[in-house]
Amino acid sequence: MILTAGLQISYSAAQAWSDLSQIGPIVAVTVALLVAVVVDLLLPRAQRGPAVAMISIAGLVLALGIAAYRLVNGYGGSAYFRFVSGDAFALFFELLFATIGVLAVIVSSSYVRRRGLDESELHVLTLAAIVGMMSLAAAGSLVTVFLGLELLSIALYVSCGYNRKEQASQESAAKYLIIGGFASAFVLYGMALIYGATGTTVISDIATRVTSDMGGNPLLLLGVLLMGVGFAFKVSAAPFHMWTPDVYQGAPLPVTAFMSVATKAAAFAMILRVFNYGLGHIGPEWQVLLAFTAAASMVVGNLMAIVQSSIKRMLAYSGVAHAGYILVGVLAGGRAGVAAVLFYLFGYVFMNFGAFAVVSTLSTADGDGDQYEDLNGLGYRNPTLGVLMSVFMLSLAGFPPMVGFFGKVFLFAAGISTGWTWLVVLAVLTSVVSVYYYFRVLFHVWSPLPEAPARYALRPVRGPVTVVLVTGIFAIALGPLSGYLLQVGLNGAAPLLGGR
Amino acid sequence: MLSSLWIVPALGGIVVCFLPRGLARVGAIAVALGELALTLVVAATFDAGQHGYQYAEQASWITQFNVSYHLGVDGLSVWLLVLNALIGTVAVLATPAVWPRAAAFLGLMLLMEAGMAGVFLSVDLLLFYVFWEAMLIPAYFLLWLWGEGDRPSYAALKFVLFTLVGSLLMLVGVIGEYVFSSAHSFDLPALAAQPPSPQIQFGLFFLFAAAFAVKIPVWPFHSWLPDAYMSAPTPFLLLLAGVMGKTGAYGMLRVLLPLNPHPVNWWDWNWVLPVLAVIGIAWGALLALAQRDMKALVAYSSISHMGFIVLGIFALNAQGQEGAVVQMLNHGIIVPALFLIVAWIYARTGSRDRGVLTGLAPAMPVLAGLFLVVTMAALGLPGLNSFVGEFMTLLGAWQLSPGLAVAGCTGLILAPIYMLRLFQGAMYTEVAGGSDHPPEAVVRKDLARREVALLAPLVALMFVLGLYPYLVVHLMPALGAGMQVLRW
Repeated sequence: MILTAGLQISYSAAQAWSDLSQIGPIVAVTVALLVAVVVDLLLPRAQRGPAVAMISIAGLVLALGIAAYRLVNGYGGSAYFRFVSGDAFALFFELLFATIGVLAVIVSSSYVRRRGLDESELHVLTLAAIVGMMSLAAAGSLVTVFLGLELLSIALYVSCGYNRKEQASQESAAKYLIIGGFASAFVLYGMALIYGATGTTVISDIATRVTSDMGGNPLLLLGVLLMGVGFAFKVSAAPFHMWTPDVYQGAPLPVTAFMSVATKAAAFAMILRVFNYGLGHIGPEWQVLLAFTAAASMVVGNLMAIVQSSIKRMLAYSGVAHAGYILVGVLAGGRAGVAAVLFYLFGYVFMNFGAFAVVSTLSTADGDGDQYEDLNGLGYRNPTLGVLMSVFMLSLAGFPPMVGFFGKVFLFAAGISTGWTWLVVLAVLTSVVSVYYYFRVLFHVWSPLPEAPARYALRPVRGPVTVVLVTGIFAIALGPLSGYLLQVGLNGAAPLLGGR
Repeated sequence: MLSSLWIVPALGGIVVCFLPRGLARVGAIAVALGELALTLVVAATFDAGQHGYQYAEQASWITQFNVSYHLGVDGLSVWLLVLNALIGTVAVLATPAVWPRAAAFLGLMLLMEAGMAGVFLSVDLLLFYVFWEAMLIPAYFLLWLWGEGDRPSYAALKFVLFTLVGSLLMLVGVIGEYVFSSAHSFDLPALAAQPPSPQIQFGLFFLFAAAFAVKIPVWPFHSWLPDAYMSAPTPFLLLLAGVMGKTGAYGMLRVLLPLNPHPVNWWDWNWVLPVLAVIGIAWGALLALAQRDMKALVAYSSISHMGFIVLGIFALNAQGQEGAVVQMLNHGIIVPALFLIVAWIYARTGSRDRGVLTGLAPAMPVLAGLFLVVTMAALGLPGLNSFVGEFMTLLGAWQLSPGLAVAGCTGLILAPIYMLRLFQGAMYTEVAGGSDHPPEAVVRKDLARREVALLAPLVALMFVLGLYPYLVVHLMPALGAGMQVLRW
């Protein structure tokens, strides 16, 4: 190779291949995305939707396979000059996002058909968002973090406004765009300040350069504060949660379902990577901020969820509350804390997405059946859906033997062992409140059949029902078998502890 | 062996849920009888001379937190398991043939029984908690979907929320035990061997105590009970009143005291629970006096009787605690019998009003006779079972503080008043003039043979335990391995 002096480029083909395999799952989804776009242009209109759905699922399943294979074989390491990393932490989230993606594509495929919307674009947008999320989780540098964040946000802005004819959907998109733009700006400003304080954007370098005696550095602190605010927006933690209910309500149902689990997971991946790993040494500085947001999220989320009349909005506020619980694990940090967060995020996918999938079966061309009353008698109209909806609600409320209970146990155990007992007690007391609104759903599901015909006829379509079944089985089975998932979480947490 | 004690009713319950109507009843009865037979085998082969857990089963479960699937029985739990299986069988048999959504009802009843069996079997704290919480799910649905009265959903939700405040605080306690005990395990013997420091024990003690106190319930945490009992359908009420309250008392003996043997704080906390128990005894009895509805009367008397159990446990001596265990069984036999009788009277006369029902005995001599025995047992007549338990708990309480024992006696004095008034009024008082219920409108039919058969084992046990309490007490040497009894 002929090289110019001074510019040290020794990028061999082997290195390129190794780098590419580190981001294998991202590559798989990206390729699927590109193929889907082309196929969408080539095929006749009627065949586009199903074809794109199949391609999306194929790409996601491939990504799932690659991630699982690399995780099992313990491959992993940084790539592209430490700008991304394919470590166990990234692989865990890639697994998570690919799973969510498959579920989301199945649910939205049948949803858009019933609502009379175009299908293929939504899948493409979902794939784009997943690429962003995966990059976020795999980020080795603040630059990659921002890249992933923007990619996922922009894709989701469009998805939220996907139902062009409905004003609520437009409002949702506009609101999300404006507030999300604000949050991104906060994050970017914070990153700039941290770069100013440390002279690097590579997170592992930040981890070594930011030592515990830098707690007084105003540049760094301001950077942490701004980034923290931006992240809190993204995980919809109080008091930065205001956008969540409106956006969730207006967005098409599968998009809401996707956002509620995937965006949250992505944002927590970002927080763990940047705060717990990069800024772990000045933990006491940012923990105060996070403890406050965690407490506020639990209280606000749980109290506001009580008064909602739409299940979408209720689940939005319940999501705020769950963000508060998960923050306990972030605050606890360490291997147990991070593993508990990872466990909870994975378990949360099944219970929350499952609940949305049940609601999605009530959608017709006229709208979404997302009012409590629309669920009336569901348990008698379709016992399978009724029982599984009950399982999801009980799991969200934290009842054993469902996965939600074990998630809470692991989070609280990490919290108590690191001295966040007051926060755990608050979490426990507010989750009693949560039982009230989760049981309200049960109340409608098992209330006698309404005399008037239901506003939204129940359409037990095969796709969503399969998703409900699968998520339901996981929500139950991951409880007694929680040890296995926790072990994956512990492995995933390991790469974040190198900096300390 | 022990696993089957909860797996049989759990799996059986799930299967029964999906059976067709006619088959469900047969299936549920078969499962309940099978469960009863299994527990009786365990009880019969239980080695009284041996301390510690028998038939222990242990397998690692969540290794990262040292959670194990650990089951065992000892002298404390073995008879409670039998009680659970017995009342479960009676409850399934007491479910009328015509019953709305019978398959789901019976299935959930069996699941509830499985949950309670699991609570009595667990030797691992997290496993205990899992069963403890899981049994709340069938209980909620049974109370809500098959509840009586105006607003069963309110009663069910109130019950769940009350219990849950306690339970979730206990969850903090459960995790706290793991974190602060040097054993770093959830295994009960290991935790009991290495308790946390006395100051931390103090905090954990009240976290656990809150959960158990709500479940029993101890005054002033009892306000869910009248609502729940009033709206519970009779078969479920048998399980709820007969067994579920006992899980709280059992938890105190199994978890609360052994794991936190010496909680210390700057103030003397020892009086808290005995005093609450005594207040509960008097309070429940006074409210029972004031009730016209027979079901409510029995419900409030239940609060009073549970007070004796708590008083015995927190007398913190062997006599008191043995008395408490005996009383748990006694109450678990008497209260279902009382509720059954009340339900049968209601089914025949259409009324539970003590002021309206009169002179039923001549028409229903068998019912009157059985009612008499149960009444006598409930008010603590020597020779019947309740006397033994109440006497022992009061003896234990006397050693703690004579004043408390004397105050506890108010329950013994008031019990005959409300029980005899109930019995006498309904059974023997002649109809004086025009009553609200003209006698001819009342179906005065005596107990059917099936109903007598249902009540017979309970009545027989009242005599057996009254005349031969040694049956239960002789197992007590094995009571709570490692329990450290405190002096005030």
